Amino acid sequence: MSTITRAEAPELTPAPETKPPRRRGRWTPYWLLLPGILWLVVFFALPMLYQASTSVQTGSLEEGYKVTWHFATYWDALSQYWPQFVRSVLYAASATILCLLLGYPLAYLIAFRAGRWRNLIMILVIAPFFTSFLIRTLAWKTILADGGPVVGALNALHVLDLTNWLGWTAGDRVLATPLAVVCGLTYNFLPFMILPLYTSLERIDPRLHEAAGDLYAQPFTTFRKVTFPLSMPGVVSGTLLTFIPAAGDYVNADLLGSTDTRMVGNVIQTQFLRILDYPTAAALSFILMAAILLMVTLYIRKSGTEDLV
Amino acid sequence: MTTDNSGDVRLSGISKTYGSFTAVHPLDLTVPQGSFFALLGASGCGKTTTLRMIAGLEEPSSGTVHLGEQDVTHLPPYKRPVNTVFQSYALFPHLDIFENVAFGLRRRGVKSVKKQVEEMLELVQLGEQARKKPHQLSGGQQQRVAVARALINHPKVLLLDEPLGALDLKLRRQMQLELKRIQTEVGITFVHVTHDQEEAMTMADTVAVMNAGRVEQLGAPTDLYENPQTTFVANFLGTSNLIEAEVDSRSGEDVVLRAGGGKLTLPRARCSAQATTGGKVLVGVRPEKISLTHADDAGEIPDGRNRITGRIADSSFIGVSTQYVIDSPVCPEFEVYAQNIDRDPRLVPGTEVVLHWNPAHTFGLDAAQDIDAGVGTVGEEAA
Amino acid sequence: MAFVNWLKRHLVVVAGLLTLGYLLLPNVVVTVFSFNKPKGRFNYEWQQFSTDAWKDPCGVADMCGSLSLSLQIAVWATLGATALGTMIAFALVRYRFRARGAVNSLIFLPMAMPEVVMAASLLTLFLNMGAQLGFWTILIAHIMFCLSFVVTAVKARVMSMDPRLEQAAQDLYAGPLQTFLRVTLPIAAPGIAAGALLAFALSFDDFIITNFNAGSTVTFPMFVWGSAQRGTPVQINVIGTTMFVVAVLLVLVSMALGNRRNRQKA
Repeated sequence: MSTITRAEAPELTPAPETKPPRRRGRWTPYWLLLPGILWLVVFFALPMLYQASTSVQTGSLEEGYKVTWHFATYWDALSQYWPQFVRSVLYAASATILCLLLGYPLAYLIAFRAGRWRNLIMILVIAPFFTSFLIRTLAWKTILADGGPVVGALNALHVLDLTNWLGWTAGDRVLATPLAVVCGLTYNFLPFMILPLYTSLERIDPRLHEAAGDLYAQPFTTFRKVTFPLSMPGVVSGTLLTFIPAAGDYVNADLLGSTDTRMVGNVIQTQFLRILDYPTAAALSFILMAAILLMVTLYIRKSGTEDLV
Repeated sequence: MTTDNSGDVRLSGISKTYGSFTAVHPLDLTVPQGSFFALLGASGCGKTTTLRMIAGLEEPSSGTVHLGEQDVTHLPPYKRPVNTVFQSYALFPHLDIFENVAFGLRRRGVKSVKKQVEEMLELVQLGEQARKKPHQLSGGQQQRVAVARALINHPKVLLLDEPLGALDLKLRRQMQLELKRIQTEVGITFVHVTHDQEEAMTMADTVAVMNAGRVEQLGAPTDLYENPQTTFVANFLGTSNLIEAEVDSRSGEDVVLRAGGGKLTLPRARCSAQATTGGKVLVGVRPEKISLTHADDAGEIPDGRNRITGRIADSSFIGVSTQYVIDSPVCPEFEVYAQNIDRDPRLVPGTEVVLHWNPAHTFGLDAAQDIDAGVGTVGEEAA
Repeated sequence: MAFVNWLKRHLVVVAGLLTLGYLLLPNVVVTVFSFNKPKGRFNYEWQQFSTDAWKDPCGVADMCGSLSLSLQIAVWATLGATALGTMIAFALVRYRFRARGAVNSLIFLPMAMPEVVMAASLLTLFLNMGAQLGFWTILIAHIMFCLSFVVTAVKARVMSMDPRLEQAAQDLYAGPLQTFLRVTLPIAAPGIAAGALLAFALSFDDFIITNFNAGSTVTFPMFVWGSAQRGTPVQINVIGTTMFVVAVLLVLVSMALGNRRNRQKA
């Protein structure tokens, strides 16, 4: 996980005196790196190049494809599927914000208020991982079922009127609406938000809270001025770990949504596996990758945390 | 009985450089069998690097390391009959105390380790703790485990890298005596690295004061203290008052010097600098050797003592003694420690006084050195 | 008023527990519906209590086969990714070498890449090479995306290790191999175990990358996906519930054992 889990040993000796002796084995690191790095080069980096080349090919399944530097594929893909791109970003961003809002109190609870329940709550956060996420996503179909207790309650509280007005739901249904998809995305990626948040909160010395209180900070001010800034590394890696997979997800949109909630992941999957239009699929996938890398880079720059691995 | 010198450590021209940085300049050093030897210096002075070269954890850039007659320069650490007590102990966290102590024996293929380990744990008074993990012990206990783990292998030489650095003051005193006791009992050569001058002086037979990768001076603790040969040693070991003076003349065994308006006498034997007439030397004297007399009583001071006049700038009472800072024309901050016997109530800040001492307590240093070398490096936290 | 004050003081706790409820609700539903006896092909509406599915967990065609295939792939992927990842982690922490920045990026990128992008590009590679999609392509893909996670987990642990421990072992007559086996490996073990556990969970539960690169081979997540279109057998919930319970029990037991061992030694 790209959480910032660095526990460096306290540096007791000045630098020139700690360097481990490396008289033997100048080649050892390369041998250690070789198999793993080779694996990543062949099965991660090389495929990216293949994909880039596929995206500028033309031809057909029967006659085969040739690289013709046909960049128009990108333009066609964008102009045809821009709503799906916009939707992916919107849904993923909403899910990320929801994850932060929901996950922060729980991470805070585990870090500072759980006492002897800490380990148990931790297990309960992680344990759902061990049930296939598809099974758990399908359970939302039951929870959000038409005429079910959840929809009934939302209806009675007039929440549905509001979400209908916002265009998040339609009529008396939650299932097959954007709300259901965002709800599923939030649920699926919530632990990826909670764990890094917890890691950075847990490192905060509780005495800092007391010190802030001692220096006339109200509890909420303490949170705003001390706790939250110190948890920023967790917030940054948590939002990245939530946003990136959510933007590329197609499972939630497929299981909980409708044709009106299709995200870019759905399009790539259909193009690749059903329509077999490889250039378009490759172009879409490339645009998604570029867009996400761009957003992530900008975000990391802005939040000033470059220390992610 | 023939003299066994298999425990001698002999360093010849040994040095260590990292890129353009020289941690240890070429160094010759012999530590005789059975002695307690301390390498004393401030952080980064090269003392730990020297120790690690003896241990084999660092390969010297030049020179050789001999243990007795054997050249071990190119032997890896696990083939050297030398063991180390590491800074912050480096006890294996996944093994209990017994297994930590048994580690070296097992690696050398010793079959029945139980009796030896138990005896060793008794020696360091930890027989009850054999099955605990290191993190369950206090700092002092961990320290003793580290010593036991090294000693059980009967090394030719035991190396100690700031072994007491992590302990609080009281425990440190206690462990100093304890280590000294163990050393006397087992009779192994100990090489001890520390930044604490008091620790070095209490424990070691011989101390080497290191500075910037060189040995400044080597000798018995009293010798180093009473007769420092560089300004660094004079300032690093305790406190010294250093006065710049000009050589006036020689008379018999003494050198007569001019400082300010007065004259000072310095035994030739205690001057490490060239004392040519008209040349400059630094004259030093330790603060506790000096007596203070009120200027009105100056006539009562016996003849033949070195004297300097000044005014008390500050005084602080610290129980066993009173420390005065004197403003004098020859030295702006002259320090004097006076025993609290027969205190003169007139000696308050502002009073004109005469400082005087036995010329035999004077030492002379080469004036070409930095007069403040080694000042303030004493309390620094350690390499 | 007293209630409002109480709520104010415990707002974080209440909000946190609500989130925990949100996280666990689907598991409760999965468990409850494993005792359902649905009318149609889909198990989304409660009908009546029944233990039929529990009595015959493998009663659905192909389900248990896909389950065992997923387990096999997860085991091999875990072994592969853990071995390769641990080696990389050691190289990164313990050695200086050229191109460190490039290696770090190559480790980081797979974690910052949407799965669907990796899935699609890997498929283009396999198609171009004319590889037969199936067990081996799935395994290759799984080792690829688990690798980075193992590296991160092991690296964190190895970084926090005091290098003096290995020097102490060498000083105590342990040669390089003995030092590695007796000191380095045992101390790095928790990090390696964490990495392996993560790899197992990721591989076992992976759907998106597998879906692209499996050809006609069906893993358990793919079986669940297919059944969402064709009809969801109750047995899926039985498997889901069992996995959850076994995971929680394993963790609890190992924690209890750890506690007891600590107390005995204290």
